[in-house]
Amino acid sequence: MGKIVSIHSFRGGTGKSNTTANLASQVAMTGKRVGVVDTDIQSPGIHVLFGLDETSMGKTLNDFLYGKCEIAEVAYPVGDYAAAAKESAPGRAQLAGKDLFLIPSSIRGREISRVLREGYDVGRLNEGFQTLIQNINLDYLFIDTHPGLNEETLLSIAISDILLLILRPDNQDFQGTAVTVDIARSLDVSNLLLMVNKAVPNKYTYENLKTQIETAYKAPLTGILPLSFDMADNASKDIFSLRYPDHDWSKELRKVAQAVMDTN
Amino acid sequence: MAGVFDRLQRQIEDKQKDGGITALDLADLTPALRKIMRLMLRQLQMNYPQLCDAMDKMAEAERLSRADLDQSLGMLTQQAWLTRLGEGPKAIYKVNLRPKAGSTLASGIWSSLDDKLKK
Repeated sequence: MGKIVSIHSFRGGTGKSNTTANLASQVAMTGKRVGVVDTDIQSPGIHVLFGLDETSMGKTLNDFLYGKCEIAEVAYPVGDYAAAAKESAPGRAQLAGKDLFLIPSSIRGREISRVLREGYDVGRLNEGFQTLIQNINLDYLFIDTHPGLNEETLLSIAISDILLLILRPDNQDFQGTAVTVDIARSLDVSNLLLMVNKAVPNKYTYENLKTQIETAYKAPLTGILPLSFDMADNASKDIFSLRYPDHDWSKELRKVAQAVMDTN
Repeated sequence: MAGVFDRLQRQIEDKQKDGGITALDLADLTPALRKIMRLMLRQLQMNYPQLCDAMDKMAEAERLSRADLDQSLGMLTQQAWLTRLGEGPKAIYKVNLRPKAGSTLASGIWSSLDDKLKK
């Protein structure tokens, strides 16, 4: 059975969607079959990294949640259209022919407001996850979550084989991550991994920060990714780690991807 | 005229609407109950022999005895956190997750937002 990897952070702005897209891409590049679900239904965004917009996006996760279609109908095969981005997004273009599927959430205002107004069937969301793994024969299903704790986030934590928590070296993040770690433990999450993002370069000694974080949360720190102007300049237009494989951010990201793949 | 199956199906659906478990409730369960619920969340539905088989495959320290499994299933079904379809060894168990509630904001806010989004 394929593994569910939930990517979460207690606070917003940690780079969760960018990290998820890059991790999923790196894993897909190794030949694995990978799905990415955007469960940040209130503020979706990961589709941008995979080159989708409102006009190119047809049915979405929202349609599935309201019974308008099957989950497989909203799984966009990124590998089928990635080559077209050779000029504009050469990183993403490398995914051509790879088995990477994106399940986006709607970016139409009325559909987002419907979710907020009416709620939705959480059981159907879970059925969607499990059906995707079986029907598309996925090795990994990455779930990009909404920051903080809400219904879909807690569900994704509860069903995940691997939970990757992202935090910045920031006191608010440290406290919030402690809350999430407690909840993950109370839900018996099998494998809890940590990743630091947006660390000011040359400010932290890798080993010191690693010891500090691993002691505090009793979970392995898989990578310390630097705060990067290059990353900001990329502006979610491309899969950064594929476009700039020799960048420090990309090198650390690959360590995290390897840790995910090494986790049983 | 609705058949027996339709009526039963409606009864099950009505029961599901009444309750259901939230992901946060899982954290408050005993380890044994949580183990079953997490397994069921991943498998979507299982019959009793499949559940027994899954238990047998677990590490000895994690495994539930048949008596504990039976008791746990009874408790989870009674709370309507698991739905049982059928009886006896062929009964199928499914998780009953509580739907995410909609907003409690005044409905006027949403119709006003909808009107704006139509433009």
